[in-house]
Amino acid sequence: LRSLKGLVYRSLKLDHGCALHTAARDGLSSLSTQDAPERPRAVFHTSESDPAKHTEQHEGRLYNIPLEEVKAVFPHGLPYRFQQQIQTFNEARVMVRRPALEILAYLKGSNFAHPAVRYVIYGERGTGKTMTLCHVVHYCSRQGWLVLHIPDAHLWVKNCKELLQSSYNKERLDQPLQASVWLRNFKTSNERFLQEIKTQKKYMWGKRESTEEGRPLGEVVEQGLARVRSASDAVGVVLREIKQQSHRGSFRLLVAVDGVNALWGRTTLRKEDRSPVSPEELTLVHNLRKMVRNDWSGGAIVTTLSQTGSLFKPSSAYTPHELLGKEGFDALDPFVPIPVANYSPREFESCYGYYLERKWLQHEKAHTEDGKAELQFLSGSNPRQLDRLAGPL
Amino acid sequence: RIMPVRWSRYNPSYLEPEVKKESYQKPLEELTEEEREQMELKAVQPIKAAPPTLSSSVFSDPMISKFTNMMMKSGNKVLARSLMSQTLEAIKRKQLEKYHKAPENEKETIECNPYVIFHQALKNCQPIIGLSNITKGGKTYQVPVPLTDNRKRFLAMKWLITECRENKHRRTMMAEKLCQELLLAFNNEGPVIKRKHVLHKMAEANRAYAHFRWW
Repeated sequence: LRSLKGLVYRSLKLDHGCALHTAARDGLSSLSTQDAPERPRAVFHTSESDPAKHTEQHEGRLYNIPLEEVKAVFPHGLPYRFQQQIQTFNEARVMVRRPALEILAYLKGSNFAHPAVRYVIYGERGTGKTMTLCHVVHYCSRQGWLVLHIPDAHLWVKNCKELLQSSYNKERLDQPLQASVWLRNFKTSNERFLQEIKTQKKYMWGKRESTEEGRPLGEVVEQGLARVRSASDAVGVVLREIKQQSHRGSFRLLVAVDGVNALWGRTTLRKEDRSPVSPEELTLVHNLRKMVRNDWSGGAIVTTLSQTGSLFKPSSAYTPHELLGKEGFDALDPFVPIPVANYSPREFESCYGYYLERKWLQHEKAHTEDGKAELQFLSGSNPRQLDRLAGPL
Repeated sequence: RIMPVRWSRYNPSYLEPEVKKESYQKPLEELTEEEREQMELKAVQPIKAAPPTLSSSVFSDPMISKFTNMMMKSGNKVLARSLMSQTLEAIKRKQLEKYHKAPENEKETIECNPYVIFHQALKNCQPIIGLSNITKGGKTYQVPVPLTDNRKRFLAMKWLITECRENKHRRTMMAEKLCQELLLAFNNEGPVIKRKHVLHKMAEANRAYAHFRWW
């Protein structure tokens, strides 16, 4: 019976209007017509909630992430509108799309003895770059990797209320608030690694406090959370330790940075004498840049470009060269570019069907063909525009 | 410079623009004689400029447009429209959350469509009878007077907007305030319904002066 259900899923997916399939499958359409009235809603869902098993068959379908896992894996990192959607629908459904499947295939086939490969996800505004990154992060945390997820690097280069002069290096500036927030979220997502990884050096926090060699990393994180003034240095220590120990092979490391173009642009922060701060003068950015270099092995670096939060960049810029600038492009240079496009017709159908099923589209005309055509035209199959349009309808 | 066109005095030969898609999709055979004549007339006669509020979208609603225009300040239609869409979305979210948490038998009673809620709330806020100031013999009396449909709709919308703008906490967003007011009005509770009842009571109390009305 299970195989029959699987066949029905696949053939109903065919019947949904995509012209890529061979005539051999038409034999199954007779089976599909019996079940079509009962199961037309479930075509765009898939019960496969493990990203490791997602293949091209699942492309365009939505898979469910259990809510406890969402809280554990994504304490930060999901877009705000998606978090609201999770709360309204009481479930987290992410669409499986081709760019994400591409990255997952590369990760599955990569050799971890070689230096880490860098993947840069780019695309126009609202096409799903952050969601692709979240899909990859979910896969890696399911596989048991250590995930270093920075939700938005732009938050570290703008709107900072407190800038302290770093005690470690006189020229650099610390950001205690951002560092402590990030440390708290890092602790929630990676509890078990913090007990396993041990420090390899003695670190002094000021004159009296220190962390001995061989203590678990959890203590460094506690130190950073307790003494907020040294939180940025704690972040630096954590990054350094993880990077040095990743090549041993006891754990795999994923560095996931959203908005990586913030690390090489300009900041809107100013020092007390009103001179502008450049990104290298911030401890957090300095340490993160070292992390994104490919001089370590035993993991991968997946990053996203983002124009929305970026500073001093025109709104039409979306390619890596425009957003990263010369400095950033040279720093990231051998990378695998992954473009993310708007919804294909099948993905649009899937998203539209999901909204209908969850009763998100309440307007009577939204259920008609005219309404659907109008939504497709107005949004241009752009995921963010579709979400914004479907809100009031 | 934009030349004012809509309030200009058009030549009477100018016809109104036809926006509905259905009228253009009918094949020629189905039209009656008059419609065929009118189509030929439209091909020849000049047509007035369509106002920017006239939309051919299936999702456009004249009441919602009217409400958005009343919320607009200093011509900022973009802001008014985004506030309106945020309000509708907020209503939908609240109702959907309630719907998903409710037990099976109560699910049908919960209305999730924000447009239905909006229309019903406006209908509940509309007064049936109004008061008008009539001066007779040096004194001004508040005389109960029947209201036209347009006036009722206008009063309902005006009360909702002034209530949200003035009597709420300063830091809440307009979309949130409107959402709360509309949901209360939908259930026949809230300050706007109270204002309507107060008006009705005043009209009832001043029943004696009803004969002062001469129209």
